[in-house]
Amino acid sequence: MSVPDAPDAPDASVESLYPFLYAGPTDLEAVLAAVRRSTAEKAEEIVALRREVLDRDGARIAACARVLADAFASGARLFAFGNGGSATDAQDVAALFLSPGFLPDGSGGGATVPLPAFALTGDVAVVTALSNDVGFEVVFARQLAASGRAGDIALGLSTSGNSRNLVAAFEEAGRRGMTTVGLAGYDGGQMAELGTVDDLFVVPSSSVHRIQEAQTTVYHVLWELTQHALVRHGAPAGSDFS
Amino acid sequence: MDQTALVARAREAFARRVEPALALTEEAGRVAAACHAMAERFHDGGRLVVFGSGEAATDAQHIAVEFVHPVIVGKRALPAFSLTNDVATITGITAVAGAEEVFAHQLRHLATPRDMALGVSATGNCADVLRALETARELGLLTLALVGGDGGAIRAGGVADHVLAARSHDPRVVKETHVTMYHVLWELVHVFFERPGVLTPKVVT
Repeated sequence: MSVPDAPDAPDASVESLYPFLYAGPTDLEAVLAAVRRSTAEKAEEIVALRREVLDRDGARIAACARVLADAFASGARLFAFGNGGSATDAQDVAALFLSPGFLPDGSGGGATVPLPAFALTGDVAVVTALSNDVGFEVVFARQLAASGRAGDIALGLSTSGNSRNLVAAFEEAGRRGMTTVGLAGYDGGQMAELGTVDDLFVVPSSSVHRIQEAQTTVYHVLWELTQHALVRHGAPAGSDFS
Repeated sequence: MDQTALVARAREAFARRVEPALALTEEAGRVAAACHAMAERFHDGGRLVVFGSGEAATDAQHIAVEFVHPVIVGKRALPAFSLTNDVATITGITAVAGAEEVFAHQLRHLATPRDMALGVSATGNCADVLRALETARELGLLTLALVGGDGGAIRAGGVADHVLAARSHDPRVVKETHVTMYHVLWELVHVFFERPGVLTPKVVT
């Protein structure tokens, strides 16, 4: 005589996905196994997301690199900005464009051209002064008003696309005739709706973490292609024409 | 370089990232062990102290904000500090004691043995990160390193309890893999918190 399944038995497939939910309170090995599986899943997620970004925006990233190379060759400076984790990305963008370095072997190798780039997030005196005296929404916009010139580049990163200070900064950059580049996530939020960003790259994900990981790739590739595009301007490897 | 050639470069650059990202799966066992060790330290009142040079300094700050201000509502804030923020301290130590001491000096005077030291170095050869990990180990901290390439002197020197390696020699690809690694570290530390029975019984409150 067969025994029917208990009606409230956990679904076997769910249990295999999340064994720690069903493990005893001291079942360390089950939790470790779930953590290992979760790590592998996240690796697969980011690979798929980067593939989607390339399919959607590969040609636009290449075209944007051309625009940036032309701007740098004409004397532009790049200003990068963002909040929280995106502030660290802004600093990474500035460090990458400014620093001496080498292209990877897989991309032809060779010395890179250091380019003038600044992060608007690094000066704690300016950031706290503007926040205290006026409000956080003017941080970045006021800095661009003070330092940005027509032809310079404003590059802002946000996962939501809705940061008020970024929206204000892109408006200010547009008024000043700057080239504007934006990185956003989800559906692009306000950065997409307002149409104030010349080149907007939206990472189509709802995970802040995966968005940041794909955005890092976008600005790394943008830098690498900008270096390649500069070659047509006759910039010798390792030269600093800024 | 014309548009067609640049698009081809873009495809090549994205393709260069696939294998190192998938190789994270091979690090999963070490990631899980590191998360468990970190969760135990946090549970015991330890703080996470993070450091790195150049572009890795931005990762140190990113890791600190990840733990202090979680992106997922409802996750508890955990104590984490980056040693890369205070320009007066960094330039002061560099001028007086030398650049290699910049993180080690701060650890000696700011950290306690219960804390965790996490160093980020794309090559595994940053002298200041290596020196800081050696110092942290002497002080009794849990030591962790995110490295790339062959792991360099940090792996060879055996100065970290947990070494997580990105399988690439391109520093930009290594950084991207590190971002995924520390996002996973943050998220999965909380898995252990949500199952407190798997943390060392003596520290369960």
